[in-house]
Amino acid sequence: MMLFQFLLILIMLIGAIAVCVFRTLINAVVAMALVSLIASILFYYLQAPDVAMAEASVGAALTTAIFVIAIRKTKKRDDKG
Amino acid sequence: MEEIVFLVIIGAGVILCLLRMVKGPTAPDRAVAVDTASTVTTALLVFLGYTFKRSIYLDVSLVYAVLTFIGAVAIARYLERGI
Repeated sequence: MMLFQFLLILIMLIGAIAVCVFRTLINAVVAMALVSLIASILFYYLQAPDVAMAEASVGAALTTAIFVIAIRKTKKRDDKG
Repeated sequence: MEEIVFLVIIGAGVILCLLRMVKGPTAPDRAVAVDTASTVTTALLVFLGYTFKRSIYLDVSLVYAVLTFIGAVAIARYLERGI
């Protein structure tokens, strides 16, 4: 069980590095959704299901949708850094 | 014993989704990989609720499945130039 938590933390770390490395904004948002997903699983593992539910609602749905809408409504300057 | 087998299978699925998310050449590849990972981890949540012997934990997996679907729909609408 403990090893599986380490695996989840490792996956979350790789996802967080991917958020920093990706040059396109929509790819970074997708990677951020994965990080939020794994964070919710870790909260659930630590026996805090209400915190996990709040993290899933805010992180997976609300933040992703708002970021996508913001990317859509702004100019495409993301490839020039 | 069954717990170990289940966790190995779920871990393999999530790692494969992570590889596709890191490698995937286009944005739809990455979006589908994250959506698949959310489906796999919903199964993990149901199994953990069974392991902890608390039926209230199953509600979390329901909320989780619905909300990750909303995120996937938002990204999909962006990719087809909609939203």
